[in-house]
Amino acid sequence: MTTDERIMLTGNKAAAWGARMAQVEYVPAFPITPQTEIVETLAKWFAEGTMKGKYTNMDSEHSMFMAAGAGAATGVRVFTASSSQGILHGMESLYTLTGWRVPLVIVNVSRALATPITLEPDHNDVMSTRDCGLIQLHAETCQEVFDFILLGYHIAENPNVCLPVLVNMDGFYLSFTREPVLIPSQEAIANFLTAFKPAQPVFQASQPMARASAVFGGATYSYFKMQHNLAAYHAEKVFNESAQKFSEQFGRTYEPAEKFHMDDAEFVFVMSNSFATKGKAAVLQLRRQGIKAGLLKLRLFRPFPSAFIAEALSGHKNVAIIDQNLSPGMGGITYPEIVASLYSHPNRPKRILSVIGGLGGKDIRESDFMSIINHFKDPESPSPLYLFDDVDMASFQKIQNIANPKEEPSSS
Amino acid sequence: MTAFVNPYKKIKDLHPKEAISPGTGLCAGCGGLEGLRLAMKELGENVLICNAAGCFTLLSVYPFTPLKSSWLYTTMGAPVPAAQGVRDALDIRMAHKGLSNDENLLVMAVAGDGSSNDIGLGATSAALHRKLDFIYFCYDNEAYGNTGFQLSAASPLGSATQTAPTTKVHPAGAESFKQDLFEIWKAQEPTYIATVSPREPVDLSNKFAKAKTLQGPRMFICMSPCPTGWGYDPKESNLIAKLAVDTGIFPIKEYFEGKVVHTKPPKKRLPVEQFLERQKRFRHLFEPERRDDIIALIQQHVDEYWRRYE
Amino acid sequence: MFRIRMHGRGGQGIKTASQILGSAAFNSGFQAQDFPLYSAERRGAPIVAFTRISEDAILERGPIVVPDLLLIGDETLLESPQAAPLCGSDESTVIFINSEKKPEELQKHYSLSKLPLQWNLTELCIQYLNHGMLLSTALAATGARLIGTISLQALLKAVESELGAQGIPKKALEKNHELAQTIFLDLPSTTFPARQPADLQANSLIVMEQKGIRDASPLIFATGNMALRKTGDWRIQRPEIDYSHCNKCLICYARCPDGAIRVNADDHPEIDYDHCKGCMICAQECPGHFINTVREAGAES
Repeated sequence: MTTDERIMLTGNKAAAWGARMAQVEYVPAFPITPQTEIVETLAKWFAEGTMKGKYTNMDSEHSMFMAAGAGAATGVRVFTASSSQGILHGMESLYTLTGWRVPLVIVNVSRALATPITLEPDHNDVMSTRDCGLIQLHAETCQEVFDFILLGYHIAENPNVCLPVLVNMDGFYLSFTREPVLIPSQEAIANFLTAFKPAQPVFQASQPMARASAVFGGATYSYFKMQHNLAAYHAEKVFNESAQKFSEQFGRTYEPAEKFHMDDAEFVFVMSNSFATKGKAAVLQLRRQGIKAGLLKLRLFRPFPSAFIAEALSGHKNVAIIDQNLSPGMGGITYPEIVASLYSHPNRPKRILSVIGGLGGKDIRESDFMSIINHFKDPESPSPLYLFDDVDMASFQKIQNIANPKEEPSSS
Repeated sequence: MTAFVNPYKKIKDLHPKEAISPGTGLCAGCGGLEGLRLAMKELGENVLICNAAGCFTLLSVYPFTPLKSSWLYTTMGAPVPAAQGVRDALDIRMAHKGLSNDENLLVMAVAGDGSSNDIGLGATSAALHRKLDFIYFCYDNEAYGNTGFQLSAASPLGSATQTAPTTKVHPAGAESFKQDLFEIWKAQEPTYIATVSPREPVDLSNKFAKAKTLQGPRMFICMSPCPTGWGYDPKESNLIAKLAVDTGIFPIKEYFEGKVVHTKPPKKRLPVEQFLERQKRFRHLFEPERRDDIIALIQQHVDEYWRRYE
Repeated sequence: MFRIRMHGRGGQGIKTASQILGSAAFNSGFQAQDFPLYSAERRGAPIVAFTRISEDAILERGPIVVPDLLLIGDETLLESPQAAPLCGSDESTVIFINSEKKPEELQKHYSLSKLPLQWNLTELCIQYLNHGMLLSTALAATGARLIGTISLQALLKAVESELGAQGIPKKALEKNHELAQTIFLDLPSTTFPARQPADLQANSLIVMEQKGIRDASPLIFATGNMALRKTGDWRIQRPEIDYSHCNKCLICYARCPDGAIRVNADDHPEIDYDHCKGCMICAQECPGHFINTVREAGAES
């Protein structure tokens, strides 16, 4: 694009535009709902010559991520996308290529994991990549999807990071939802993200090297893992620098987490991704009802901006951490991370509640936020709190009665 | 028909330069290493090996690499997708980013028979479908060697492996015939397929010399006698390789331009038991009592194969 | 507690030796623990195995750093910097070496700080088992005897259970029993100096600094540097070319898996003993049989 343009785009299209405007050179791809629109769009742009480089149809996510990592290790700007089962199928490759220390951007379109199989979103897929050493940015809007891809390359390609960046968006709620997205001109983007010059050594004949050879003896393994860890930690500083530069160029400012009506909030909801929009609406409604609510939206999830989050949440009485994921037998996955961040803070919240909701695309309604508020008022109430009410149960039982009819239909 | 003249006639002609240094942790007498060493002499130094988890993972152990060229450790199932990524990236850089052709690399996937026949076969098949320009080197020691010799789809019928052991109740060992990887690959019509044996260094070198002149998928299966897993004295590695050829168990051949040619057909095939009896993995076919039924089955399988060609 | 560390080569039965000794101790009513250290190395390469024996619960795991008893099955390892069998031994460590050399000679030859115990187990193995490489029973019997608290009956039961599990024929088992009995009855026992645990001293932990990407990820730029690793110490046998007959056919050169035979200036093959693993393919394949096989320990004498 030669001038800035504001156009209606789905999250998937915004992701494709992000890759295009970042002048991505290589896309190894494999389809999976609800991500497929991204790679279809890119396939078309490569086929018609709008994008230069190569689009390769791969045979699985395991192969796709491996090709993506190997392409990055050979010195091209790489983009790929996946979702859900695809992330799990590619997990071995994800761990492998993060250890290679190569930059690329991966978009994950969140979709709940089998079993049971479904198409609708929750965050267990992206949480499964939590420990593999990726940088993670979680998007709430289609604009954030686009922006985070540019930002992602800026961070990934920093010589002191050299790690893949995963940009996350919710399936359906963002992937298939159109809203206005501002696409800056290629010229403006060039001021922020220059043509790819790899900071890491890349394969070519004049640079023979062995990459990722086996190691024996724990000290060697530990050293490289600790270096990986240091680079990931360092990425928070790089995120802030890159976001600063992004803000100067494009006027949109991104902090590691977004504070929404936090100043005087007595009840804070911690959320991430597209459902944070619903949380914001609930905050406004609760405030109209005279309840001082606020919201903290997680954005940079790896590295985990512990200090920023602790600072943001300290001084607030009640914090509800809403996890749209579940670690059976433990509860929400971000909950213990946030609690750990707050532990040594002198002004930590009095009550921190774990809430599980939105699994498999189950809606989180504004009334659910009222339930959470009420829950705080009862000192005996259990944690985690599951956003599943009597109406949900009745409608489920109706369905189950078809699958597994009871002799006496349950009264409702 | 493409004319290709074999550059080598005898052992003394072989490429003098080594591309793999000694000092690796592979077993003494490893037939696969012998094959790869000869292959790499021919392919030279502008090569990138994408390695699958397997015995050859031990080729490069930090901080050492025996290769003068490049190495990328991948995973057990995805050396070929890695080769795809490298190939694509080099092509992109040469086409659009001014990378000089001198910087090009010959991309190679190296994998054992377990990776080749089992966990990585799907990904390889996909690359054959895409006509990926690369060389594939399968070192075939007929089991998962690096983990201690467990059954793979390349384990021959009647052989004992750790996961198809021979017992009184179940005396036979592996119950299926060795998967015919050559034929599986051939169905996808790659540019070139060859089976090679370290026992035939001239034939092996000529085939790699030929492959080097071609484009597209160029696939190799290297018979890799394994003293550790097969159970014989390491010094007999070449003898075992020779018997595999002379009994007709391992046909040395190539597929090119639609035709299969046996480049080293056994003149007069020896009985298979001469190959079997020297290896511990087949010992149960000879003692405590001879299993003529299984030996005959193996012989019959070999005879049927050669009947198609003799 | 007795901490026994055994050194040998892949294929010599070192792991089995540690298991026989472990089971023998268990059969004698002790707490026991045994395990081999698997590394990437293969047949012929140095390997190490451990046995811990105690009257009380064993609150240790992993490699034995400071052994009470070192059983060195293959004396050539004493010259291997990679195997470093003496590593961690102190003034209280009892060192046993399987050798035909006398203790004084061993001490001098390998510059040992103290006189080792010595017995020619290889000779006994050849005598009883017809194979000098199968050290499992001999080494375990040596360990059992030296420790002194394990009964012969417990040892023989352990030989049976461990070798039996490997499917060894009855006749061979009997021979192993005879071998164990001979060693157990003929070898003098020894005493172990008491060892007092030292007070724990803290390590100096470091705060790691982030390095640039070339140093922060597993990259090797010194290509071809594997030759720095000497695999010559894997050899049990050494090939020696008889140059008076060698006709430069170079079959040995082509057939060497490791590329440890080079062609010298006058086109003769030349063996790189720093790296030759002693597979002996060259000797087997030489058409005129002009490559001799020499047992490594005696190759110099």
